[in-house]
Amino acid sequence: MARFNLYQEEQHPSPLQYTWLEFQKNHIAMGGLVCLVLFILITVFCPLLAPFDPNLQKTGNILVPPSWDANGGITHIFGTDGLGRDILSRVLYGCRMTFGISILLVVFALLVGVGLGAIAGMSKGFRSSFLNHTLDSIQAIPTILIAIIIIAILGTGLVNSMWAIVLALIPQFVHQTRDFVRSELSKEYVMAARLDGASKIQLFARSILPNMGETLVMQATLALSISILDISALGFLNLGAQAPSSELGALLSQGIEVAYIAPWNIALPGGALFLMVVSVNIVGDGLRSALKNRLLH
Amino acid sequence: MLNILLRYTNLIIITLFILSLLSFALAYLFPGDPIEIMTGLKLEELQKLQNQSVNIGYDPEGGVLSQYGHYMSELFSGNWGVSFNSGQPLYEEIMQSLPASIELSAYALTISLILGLPLGFIAALRHHKLPDYTLLSFSVVGYSIPVFWLALILILVFSLHFGWLPLSGRLSLIFDVPNKTGFILIDILMSDIDNKHAVLLDALRHLILPTLSIAIVTTTLILRITRRSVIETLNSEFIQAAYARGLTTRQVLVRHGIRNALIPILPLLAMQFPTLLTNAMIVETIFSWPGIGSWLIQAIYQQDYSAIQAGMLAVSVFVVLFTMSIDMLLRLTDPKRKKVERGTI
Repeated sequence: MARFNLYQEEQHPSPLQYTWLEFQKNHIAMGGLVCLVLFILITVFCPLLAPFDPNLQKTGNILVPPSWDANGGITHIFGTDGLGRDILSRVLYGCRMTFGISILLVVFALLVGVGLGAIAGMSKGFRSSFLNHTLDSIQAIPTILIAIIIIAILGTGLVNSMWAIVLALIPQFVHQTRDFVRSELSKEYVMAARLDGASKIQLFARSILPNMGETLVMQATLALSISILDISALGFLNLGAQAPSSELGALLSQGIEVAYIAPWNIALPGGALFLMVVSVNIVGDGLRSALKNRLLH
Repeated sequence: MLNILLRYTNLIIITLFILSLLSFALAYLFPGDPIEIMTGLKLEELQKLQNQSVNIGYDPEGGVLSQYGHYMSELFSGNWGVSFNSGQPLYEEIMQSLPASIELSAYALTISLILGLPLGFIAALRHHKLPDYTLLSFSVVGYSIPVFWLALILILVFSLHFGWLPLSGRLSLIFDVPNKTGFILIDILMSDIDNKHAVLLDALRHLILPTLSIAIVTTTLILRITRRSVIETLNSEFIQAAYARGLTTRQVLVRHGIRNALIPILPLLAMQFPTLLTNAMIVETIFSWPGIGSWLIQAIYQQDYSAIQAGMLAVSVFVVLFTMSIDMLLRLTDPKRKKVERGTI
């Protein structure tokens, strides 16, 4: 927005402000951000928003169609499932579960990954090459296989499937951090800090880490979409969240039984899942191009 | 050249050795008796066999090292134990289901390459114009769609609502095709049954929905990778130099653009292999496709630990061999390539 400027001083936005300005120019990305914020709000305020208890079974109201259907009612906006549970409440709680858990997993994987990546980037020789080879082999194995091994050892359950996903998410953070640290270490501002006598830890924490924040956020959005897809896929296969839980993947697999007579049972949870992943991906894409365009200034 | 070959052979052997160690360790990690998990037989049956003085190499007093040695020698002789549940030899079961998975993924990958590469080029050449935006939004949608939801919707629409395509399996039960290679289309073509055309048509109709569900996701991945690579190539200096020499756009593309843009695509594609396999395994379960993915997931449901152990080893060896050979191929063909490149889609 052009604003009348009384002073002749030039304004130089900070890098963060630049990113935001670039991001704002992309309307689709802004739409994605609004959607994402909506999902965060749902995750936090879910008990206030949901009209019913997600596990409340009303035997009189089995398989009520959604309200836009001719036979639907206004009490259950998204209809009910085979046990008379309100789908809107279940989808809301499911969003909370899937989205909240995914965020937790990403944060955990990010902390571990950045730590390991910093070690790999700052060190040379055997330690770094050992780490690389181990991570490469983990990355080559499909998540679902890791999940199957862990579940076979520990038994099915949400927590066990979470371990599998964290294990699959960590390598990309390590690679990202390591490559970034490697390229920054040869730059002059790091050299200046090193000449001042900064230790390796200080170099990483004070000089390199602050510059890495935005790339990490971008990587985290990518990891978030993978994590959402994985946790719901495991829930769908009955390897993760188990039946009465309202995790979105588990909801879908429960909906299959009545899919033909009540297709809204799989259409609505799946749609919510899809919207969630799309918004995360759009925000990630927008962030990436904003970061790229910022460097052009 | 020889140096690279030797290094990769070395790497593959070490990785396979570690995998075998891990697989051996799984027998101890899974709940139950290790010997039961490795053989798939119950302890009483083993002792009965031992009493009948059948030499099965069962030696409970031997140390871990000798156990590992026996395990490896049995593995190499094709004796992978039997399944807890079906009692069938695992080697044969795996050799039947692995080709089915490879077949499904290969068709899906072929379709995605045929569609994804040209679309990626179109999007990149019309960068920041309408085709680019259309294709890009299509790709974001396809890339975010959960593959199991997509498969369910396809089933609902095409199998249940319209009834055009079959719901599950590889072939109608009325047909009986002898199993030779495990690849259904090849088996049909090789066999000498009546109505070959009808059988082939039926197999193809069964293939459409599962292939499509995997291919939609993979196509969008390839589209994004190609688009990014082409845009980066077209912005590089040798392209500008080519324009400066007065070449037309078509000449620049054919002589310099396409070949250089294709080089970075392959390693990024290879990195998407685990995603493709995960999707294939999920889709197999939904369509009851008798592949290794649905076989493993069934094994988990039934707590068939001997099957899980053998299946994991087979799949991970396959994945390692595949990724490493692609890596080696890239190293051999691309002299610029020093290290494994990593990128984002």
